[in-house]
Amino acid sequence: MADPSRSRATVAFLVLPGLAVLAFSLVVPLCVSVYFSFTDSEGFGEYKTVGFENYVAILTDDPVFWRSLRNVVVLIVATIFVQNPIAFVLAAILSRMSARLSRILRTIYFVPAVLSLVVVAKLWADVFNPTFGILNKTLHAIGLDGLAMSWLSDPRTALPAVIWIILWQGFGWAVFFYYAGLMTVPRDLEEAARVDGASTFQTYTRVIIPYMFPVISTVIVIDVISSMKQMELIYLTTNGAPGQLTQFLGVYLYQKAFVAGEYGYGNAISVLFVIISVGLTLVVQRVMRGRLR
Amino acid sequence: MTPPPQPHAGLRRAGMGVLHLVLVVFALSQLFPLLWVFLYSLQRSGDLFGNAMLSLPHDPQWVNYTRAWTDGEMVRYGLNSLIVVAASTIASTFLAFCMGYAIARMRWRFKRLVVGAITMGMVVPIHATLLPNFIWYNLFGLVDTRIGLIIPYVAFTLSFNTLIYVGHFQNLPVALEEAALLDGASWPRILWTVIAPLARPATVIVAVMTTLTNWNEFIMANTYLSSDELRTLPFSIIRFEGQFSSEYAVQFACMVIVALPAVALYLFFSKHIMAGATAGAVKE
Repeated sequence: MADPSRSRATVAFLVLPGLAVLAFSLVVPLCVSVYFSFTDSEGFGEYKTVGFENYVAILTDDPVFWRSLRNVVVLIVATIFVQNPIAFVLAAILSRMSARLSRILRTIYFVPAVLSLVVVAKLWADVFNPTFGILNKTLHAIGLDGLAMSWLSDPRTALPAVIWIILWQGFGWAVFFYYAGLMTVPRDLEEAARVDGASTFQTYTRVIIPYMFPVISTVIVIDVISSMKQMELIYLTTNGAPGQLTQFLGVYLYQKAFVAGEYGYGNAISVLFVIISVGLTLVVQRVMRGRLR
Repeated sequence: MTPPPQPHAGLRRAGMGVLHLVLVVFALSQLFPLLWVFLYSLQRSGDLFGNAMLSLPHDPQWVNYTRAWTDGEMVRYGLNSLIVVAASTIASTFLAFCMGYAIARMRWRFKRLVVGAITMGMVVPIHATLLPNFIWYNLFGLVDTRIGLIIPYVAFTLSFNTLIYVGHFQNLPVALEEAALLDGASWPRILWTVIAPLARPATVIVAVMTTLTNWNEFIMANTYLSSDELRTLPFSIIRFEGQFSSEYAVQFACMVIVALPAVALYLFFSKHIMAGATAGAVKE
């Protein structure tokens, strides 16, 4: 009898339909993108190939593209150095609470993550609203009228406000991963450190965090991927304004493609977007793996 | 586990109190905007501009909800969402189950290539495919159709779902399938009667996560659908930007109605999701 786990017909039956869907909506579009990125197409009518013209223009003569990329980096940094430490501390406290309390709180922390991005965007646009938003009302109520401003359109606060919305929605995931990671730390490891006279703080910095490095590095890789993918929250709140200050690659690409109708140029941004996403993910993954050894 | 009594017991208890406080304050910060939206949804739209911050309305305007229901076209958009979400969730779950099984349990050529493609699917941003897919789908007349939304909804949930199944199958003992094979059962039969019941925990996570993702999805629907008859539920909120832009309270009611099913589904399955996803996260 032939080894059934090698049956070609079975494998084809199981794998090909899913692969076909991925090919149709992921692989082919990327090829379409590459093709049009070498043209000056505007969506309809004649177009001609222009070689690397679009790419050269984007990389050498498009400050908005670079601004978008910079904002992604700012978001990644804010996620790793602001959101993650807070989430880690919360997870560490939760891990010392009763199982019941910790479950209830983790469930609450995660609620924003299951909300539609449209709801989250509108909700925060309303919180930040200069006339009836709760934030300005609070500032007026406590006498800090000078701080009240139009958060999402003031150049000084627009980017931090948008980043805050993204971090707020992501806390649930971060706490969730760190809590799961903390649950894997063996009890005796902690106990041994305690016996050696380590304080709680030292136990965390010298024993638990090093032990959890694989989890931390996984979370960081996920942070990078999800930061690259942010688009809807920006599109629905500032749409890149004021003056392109809150522009992100996904939003910029959308405006170029569907508002300005620059298909050739938009596709070139798409291709670069994919290359940067995949490249950055691989680099971060490699760096993290390297530190593991 | 209770620590042995110590001389600093009082200090410790105070410390614990502070820690509890931190946790609760953070919980409030996660829930507060939602609470605010709910309270505002019961006000008169004109009252929002007053100085009151978080007053319970004396005279709750439940009429905002009936207006959100009708002016927001909730029935039509909701039905569209249900159709698209149900179809894409069933298809994505089934395909992920099959691929996950083949990857975790069978030996075949090109497996690494396929796994690579699936991993790529997790990394490539949806937004980079919007424009080329718009061009490509147009060739098949798929733009502005339900099926033209269902296909990418399946595609962009398939990678995550497949990896969840792979992780689950790798932890299952092989003995059962071997016994069934020796009994002469066919492959489809084994998959359906032996494997599928064992995969139930993974299926719950996959189905719930896919439902939530696609229920909330906005940008693909916004790009591929142009006719109002096909639009999905998040658009009921967007509607209020244009024609009813001064009806803030009604828009708030609309947001509550859109958010509720997702939150309810999540709360109902949260135990399964937490447990299952923890198993996945830890293995990585």
